[in-house]
Amino acid sequence: MTSFSGDTVLVAGVGMTPFVGFRHDASVRDMVAEASRTAVADAGLRSTSQIDMGVAAYESDHFNRQMSLGQVLHDTVGLAGKPLVRVEGGGATGALAIRTALMALRSGEARSVLVFGGETNGKSVDRATATEILAMSADLEWETPVFGTFAAPYALMITEHMRRYGTTAEQFAQIAVKNRRLALDNPLAHRGMSITVDDVRSSAPLSDPYRLFDASLLSDGAAAVLLATSEWSEQHSPTFAARPPVAVLASAAATDHPRLSDRTDEMFPHFAAKRNAAAEAYRAAGIDDPPNQVDLAEVYDSFSGAELQAYEDLVLCPVGRGGQAAAEGRFDRGGQVVVNPSGGLLGRGSAVGATGIAQAVEVVSQLRGEVTGPRAVSGARIGITDTHAGVGSLCVVNVFARAA
Amino acid sequence: MRVTGVDRSTGTGGQPVYLLDMEMSQRYRHAVGSSSPFYRGLEEGVLRATRCPECGASWFPPRRFCPVDMTETAWYDLPGTGTVTAATRVHSPPPFGGIDPPYVLASIRLDGVDGGITHRVTGSETPKKGTVVTVTFIEEAAAHPLLAIAFSVRRGEA
Repeated sequence: MTSFSGDTVLVAGVGMTPFVGFRHDASVRDMVAEASRTAVADAGLRSTSQIDMGVAAYESDHFNRQMSLGQVLHDTVGLAGKPLVRVEGGGATGALAIRTALMALRSGEARSVLVFGGETNGKSVDRATATEILAMSADLEWETPVFGTFAAPYALMITEHMRRYGTTAEQFAQIAVKNRRLALDNPLAHRGMSITVDDVRSSAPLSDPYRLFDASLLSDGAAAVLLATSEWSEQHSPTFAARPPVAVLASAAATDHPRLSDRTDEMFPHFAAKRNAAAEAYRAAGIDDPPNQVDLAEVYDSFSGAELQAYEDLVLCPVGRGGQAAAEGRFDRGGQVVVNPSGGLLGRGSAVGATGIAQAVEVVSQLRGEVTGPRAVSGARIGITDTHAGVGSLCVVNVFARAA
Repeated sequence: MRVTGVDRSTGTGGQPVYLLDMEMSQRYRHAVGSSSPFYRGLEEGVLRATRCPECGASWFPPRRFCPVDMTETAWYDLPGTGTVTAATRVHSPPPFGGIDPPYVLASIRLDGVDGGITHRVTGSETPKKGTVVTVTFIEEAAAHPLLAIAFSVRRGEA
């Protein structure tokens, strides 16, 4: 595509806070306000007064300590009076909020929507309490009583992947190394690190074969994007003409049985919903050769092996070859598709409600050519974001493209 | 909720920072609802599943209504055997406690029903895919009723 039509949904503005272990100087509403202020300023606006609607993204009242937080956030960013919807979809919350905004814009219900998300997953509660809360997102009736951390179901999936395809722990450890290294060049990242495969393999065991460094970070943070029709952007966004527009080309969501033991043997080591969401998103975006058409992907690396599995389910490599691709560095900086240039959840970190939005912030910034230095994916035209709830129970794939 | 402490410090920009330590605890009375016959079964030493009288589909974990045609299902007993799909050794205790880590957790496809369970396998060996396991009922009081069972590898089949 060389240009976008008038009803195309564009990204008019993006913003995010740094992701950190604990924001002792800011509440969740402060962080959402910071990110929203940046997104609004990025669109060249001085206020949110011209924006039609808000979509609030956050997962857990247990972490945020505020029921009906969406309304508080909506009011904080100056949208009181305007329609609001709060979205929750586990790890996919932020991406699902973007998808919700897209649906509102495509239906004609709104012409501009501010999507804002935040979470205090960092150190506002001690680690044991955080683990206990997160365990409640497994099936409380049938799973939570027998396993306490998500390392366990992820470990079961990757164990079968290893048996079936010969995937090794060293291969996914390389993803843990890659994403922490890439995060070193992202000033907003929670914790970039220079570590080795040996460091990963010798870190504390969580659930075999996963170890501490295979697991992603829990962060405090917020992110926001302003989505609008092309027509609205032209009318209201002073920065519209100054840079190549980036569109939300497609968004797809799919679901799977939340309980791992309900899934078929055949699909046990795979994210079936991710595969289905990706197929639909690519179809809608007119992408028929993902590894050659997608330039960068922000992928849900909650565990290092989950990124390896995502290579396959997002059709970036053949099924069963994710391990080999990781070992070859095929999706590292300078690779065929740069996966997680931000550092991913392993390096940039994860503040659940903000995560899928922060991924979009990275992708849009890259597509606009605004990321400078070693992190830049130069000449990128198409980028995707991938998030999932649980162990792939709800998957959302969003596709962004820059007008040529 | 109660405030147990206040911390006054200074942010990186010299701004005042004010932190509250707060505490809150809840007690719940949790209805297991339609799974009640399953929990009673655990106390009687039997694993129960449900079957749809309309389409014949069987469900474990048991479901009150068949999700295919929304018909009310009927309870029946399972033999208590199954086959491991994948297993892992877990190095932290489950949230309700009751198991000292490390322990072995497996995804198990159960015989007699089109379904399965992720549960503990006794012993320290991590069973391979295809290993046959049998349910064991544990006598001592469990931290959670679901932990009144575990699965054991059949002798000679590890």
